[in-house]
Amino acid sequence: MKEIAFEHRMAAHCETGTVTALLNHGGLQITEPMVFGIASGIFFGYFESSNFSFPTFIVRNKPGSIRKNISKRLGVQFYEQNFRDSHKGEKTLNDLIAKGIPTAAQVDFYYMDYMPDYQRVHINVHFINVIGMNENAYLVSDSYYPKKSELKIQTLNKARFAGGFMAPKGFLFYPVSIPKDILYEKAIITGIKKASYNMLKLPVPFIGIRGIRKFAKKVKTWPGIARDIDHLSHEIMRINILLEDQGTGGAGFRYLYASFLQQAAAEIKENSLKDMSKRMMMIGDNWRNISYFAAKAGKNRDLGPERLNELSEMINARADEEQQFFSDLARLVK
Amino acid sequence: MKEKDLYVDFKAQQAVYYVEKSDESYGPVISGSYLAKNYLDDFYDKMNKQEQALREKLKAGEISPVYYYCIIREFGEGDLASRVGISVQKLRKHYKMENFVKMRLSLLKKYADAFDIPVAGLFHTTLTRHENAGKLRIEHAETPNPYFSISKIEANEE
Repeated sequence: MKEIAFEHRMAAHCETGTVTALLNHGGLQITEPMVFGIASGIFFGYFESSNFSFPTFIVRNKPGSIRKNISKRLGVQFYEQNFRDSHKGEKTLNDLIAKGIPTAAQVDFYYMDYMPDYQRVHINVHFINVIGMNENAYLVSDSYYPKKSELKIQTLNKARFAGGFMAPKGFLFYPVSIPKDILYEKAIITGIKKASYNMLKLPVPFIGIRGIRKFAKKVKTWPGIARDIDHLSHEIMRINILLEDQGTGGAGFRYLYASFLQQAAAEIKENSLKDMSKRMMMIGDNWRNISYFAAKAGKNRDLGPERLNELSEMINARADEEQQFFSDLARLVK
Repeated sequence: MKEKDLYVDFKAQQAVYYVEKSDESYGPVISGSYLAKNYLDDFYDKMNKQEQALREKLKAGEISPVYYYCIIREFGEGDLASRVGISVQKLRKHYKMENFVKMRLSLLKKYADAFDIPVAGLFHTTLTRHENAGKLRIEHAETPNPYFSISKIEANEE
C-alpha cells in the first residue's frame, strides 16, 4: 500500500472535516469550527421533494459551499475537477495519489462499507480524503470513522460515479495554494454576515427561520404521508439522526457554531461574540431536547396529535430563539 | 452541552460532538451515539417488519421488486429515477409486476446497479431456514460479464 503521510482525525462533519484536514496538511493551522463559521455553514432548510423518500430538513449550507466560501474568504485556491468519463476520473485520482497529494473525493455515502450497515444510506454529498492505494484498494480518511480505512477500487469508483440527485460525477479537490498571511477578522465578519442573511433574509419560504417554522407546521401533517405507524416512528426518530448523528457535532451544528463564535471572539478580541457563543450553546441544548423528545416519542409510537403538537411547539420556539439570535448577531457585525 | 453530560458508551458508532469543557472552552470530544445505543433494536425491529410485509406483497405479486428495493433502500423517487435514467412517471409504472415483466434486461441492470444487487437479485432472495440462524453474510462478487455474478455465503466471525 502506498500511503501518503497524512494525519487522520475524526471531525463533526464530512465536508468541514475534509477541508480542515487538507488545509492542516498544507500547513494552515485552522480548526473545524473556524472553517465552518467562516464558510457560513450554519443553516436551516425544510424540503419536500421527490429526491427524498420523505420530507426532510438540512441544518448546514449547500454541499460544496464550505470549500467555495473558504476559497473566497481565506484566499485558498483549490484544484477542482468533475469527470464525465469514469476511467479518466479514476486515472486522475490514481495519478494524484502516486504524486503524494491527498485528495478529497465526493461520494455516495452508501458505499462506505466500513461504516455500520444501519448507517449506510444513499447520500451523494459525502466527502472523504483519499490518502493511499495499492492494486486492490484505496486508503481513505473519513471524518466519520475512527481510523483510516481501505475501500476496494471498484467500490470507490461506484461511490464516485453514482448517478442521481446531486451526483458526485467523480468530483475531486485539493488545495493548490494557501496564503501565508490570512486576515481572519474580515473572513469571520463576512462569514457571520452571510450566515445571518441566510437565516433571516433569504426570500425563500422554506429556508432559514421560515424553514424552521415550516418544519414546525408540517411535522404535524407527517402522519398523513407515512405508510404506517412504524414508518412514522422511523421518520420522527430520523429527526434525532439529522440533528445529532449525521455529522453535525450535535444539536444540528449549533454546538459547532457556538465553538466558532467562541474562537472568533478570541481571534478578533470581540467579547460580545463570546456572549453570543454562550447563547448559541443554549440554543443547541434546546435543539438537543427536540432530538431526545423525537427519539422517545418515536420509540414509544406515541405519535398522536397531542404529541406532535408538542413537538411542533418546541420547533417553533427554536425559530423564535434563532430569529432573535441572528438579528442580534447581524447587528453586532454591521 | 457540558462534556460530562455527553458521553455514551457505544463503540460501534462513534462520532465527534462539540461540548462545553470544564474550563468553559468549547471543543470536540468523541462519544458513542445516544440513539444507536438506546434505540438500535427498535430500528432493526421496524426494518425487519417492513421487509417481511413487503416480501409478502412481492410474493403475492402486488408489488414489483423495484418498489420493494426502492422502499428498503429508502430512495427518493426522483433520485432513483435519475440513477436509472428514466422519468418518475415511468419509475412508478415499474412498481407493478405487469410492467416490471416487460422491462428490457439493460434497464433491469440499471435498477440492479442502483440497488447494489446482482440482476438475479431482482428475481430471487435468499433466507435462512430459521430466524436468528447465526450471523451469515452474502457477498455478491461481480465478474467481467456484467450480467453474471457469483454469491458467496459465509459465517461472520463473532
